Amino acid sequence: MSAQPLTDLAGSPAAPRQSAGHRAAARPRSAGTWAAYRWELVKLAALVRTRAMLIGVLVVPPLVVLALQGQRAPADTLFGRHVHDSGFALPLLLLGFATQYVFPLLTSVVAGDIFASEDQHGTWKTLLTRSVSRTQIFWAKTLAAITFAAAVLILLTASTVASSVAIIGRQPLTGLSGQSIGAASATGLVLAAWASTAAPLLGFTALAIVLSVRTRNPSLGVVGPVVLGLLMSLVGSLGGTGWLRRALLSTPLEAWHGLFTATPFYGPLIQGIGVCLAWTAVCLFFAYTSLRRRDITGG
Amino acid sequence: MTNTQAVQAEGLSKRYGELTAVDAISVQVAQGEVYGMLGPNGAGKTTFLRMLFGLIRPDAGVLEVFGRSWDRDGTAILDGVAGFIESPRFYPYLSGRRNLQLLAGLDGGAAAGLIEEVLDVVDLTGRESEKVAGYSFGMRQRLGVAASLLREPRLLVLDEPANGLDPAGIRDMRALVQRLASSGLTVLLSSHDMDEVEQICDNVTIMKRGSVAYHGTIARLREQAPPQAHLLRTSDDPAALELARQRPGLAVTATDGQLALRGTQAAVDLYITTLVRAGLSLRSLTLGEAPLEALFFMLTESSTDAVPDALTHSGQEARR
Repeated sequence: MSAQPLTDLAGSPAAPRQSAGHRAAARPRSAGTWAAYRWELVKLAALVRTRAMLIGVLVVPPLVVLALQGQRAPADTLFGRHVHDSGFALPLLLLGFATQYVFPLLTSVVAGDIFASEDQHGTWKTLLTRSVSRTQIFWAKTLAAITFAAAVLILLTASTVASSVAIIGRQPLTGLSGQSIGAASATGLVLAAWASTAAPLLGFTALAIVLSVRTRNPSLGVVGPVVLGLLMSLVGSLGGTGWLRRALLSTPLEAWHGLFTATPFYGPLIQGIGVCLAWTAVCLFFAYTSLRRRDITGG
Repeated sequence: MTNTQAVQAEGLSKRYGELTAVDAISVQVAQGEVYGMLGPNGAGKTTFLRMLFGLIRPDAGVLEVFGRSWDRDGTAILDGVAGFIESPRFYPYLSGRRNLQLLAGLDGGAAAGLIEEVLDVVDLTGRESEKVAGYSFGMRQRLGVAASLLREPRLLVLDEPANGLDPAGIRDMRALVQRLASSGLTVLLSSHDMDEVEQICDNVTIMKRGSVAYHGTIARLREQAPPQAHLLRTSDDPAALELARQRPGLAVTATDGQLALRGTQAAVDLYITTLVRAGLSLRSLTLGEAPLEALFFMLTESSTDAVPDALTHSGQEARR
């Protein structure tokens, strides 16, 4: 123990702690959701896996583009046969691949862990004995998870499109109806296709959040959305266009196909946004009520 | 100081299924006092503190802190309140200082220099840049106290702060708590160590299986404590026991292959002399548990028959 400050504490009742108590009475003790959100981002930035993932989504796409350049075009996949012909085809090939399970994984790495890690570290009691409410903590963490998902999507889109166009070129893109799409239109459509995954990504983020809150297990929170995403893809691929397929969170990930036909159709996109918002609302509602009602008996 | 109690709990209960963790207890902690909550593991001390911090919701009863309640005031109830439940926990991948900055941020920020000040108070200056993952248990306990002091509290709640510490750590932690208490802070200290509470606290609530077994001053508890016991082994314990029964002012019981003597020092001295004169050999003579410790065990382990009437009455009052 350092002698001086302890002597101060013992010797002078009016000095540091006592005056501190008076300061406490004068100073409002409220940080709010934004302060909690800011600190969630600081915590995320300190995690190695978060930084590695953000670096990965920047670095991996150019490497994939370079690797595919020296190989035969994957003709049996959507836009695969055109990857050597246009720099706009490869981002769409990769988008089709990413929607299978990469997107759910990318978002759940943070969203599936952000609540459960407090249980893992036993830090709920540390957070909730400060001047923030459970509601504020919930929205701060949810916003932080959404921020990360958005950052991943933006960086992955930028890296994929930029590296593909830079390495392969801005040649016109052949659409799904065989039509030729000029470079300017193709740029907009490719970016729109990637942007269309924002809504399902939000849905998967909310799914990971509810799993994180309910299971209190980071592993289940991270792996759960990936497994559920694959199951949904499997169910969706069984055929039919019934209400079940339309209600799946994985279906809107393919809605961008309609942008690349000679006569674009936007119905699946709009319907997909509605489905994703419904999934998001339901998942966040259950996550929020679970956290609000929960007794913190461990961490 | 106002007349508002720092902590006022009445009829507070918490059940987990069939288990009653806290059973209609009432506790009052006055401002400026050092208050002990004592009891064996599972007595309900931590459950009570968790309810105080809003980590769990009581099933029944009223709980106010400085006149505020969770239902009426939300997190404002914790204004001027700080502490930790069980061992304090932090983010292991962040440094000690970063953890404190984070927690201060959740309180609306710390005054300039306060983080350095509290690090100095708990003797972590120079170690604050290291990640918490590398901290010893004692360092984490002290960081917990630092995190509490950051809130510039009027009420400091410490749940078994010396738990898991080595002897030097226990000494330092007690010294720190005593110094904090002497600065005018209200301290609510939970412990299962009678000696710790006796050294630090003015008033105490002793809990037993979710209920209050005693509620009052340490001084009153001390008055009711049985005399210091002496543990004796002789060459012929039945004969020694018979001799003891003939001596007034001396209570002797045979337990675990030895005799426990309770009485004044003069009565014990005279009895031992009598044993030697009777030709019995003393094989060992040691001090038994301290009087308050013995009373603590009586209150928390025995049936109410073994507990002094004055003390059982205090527990019933607190329960009401």
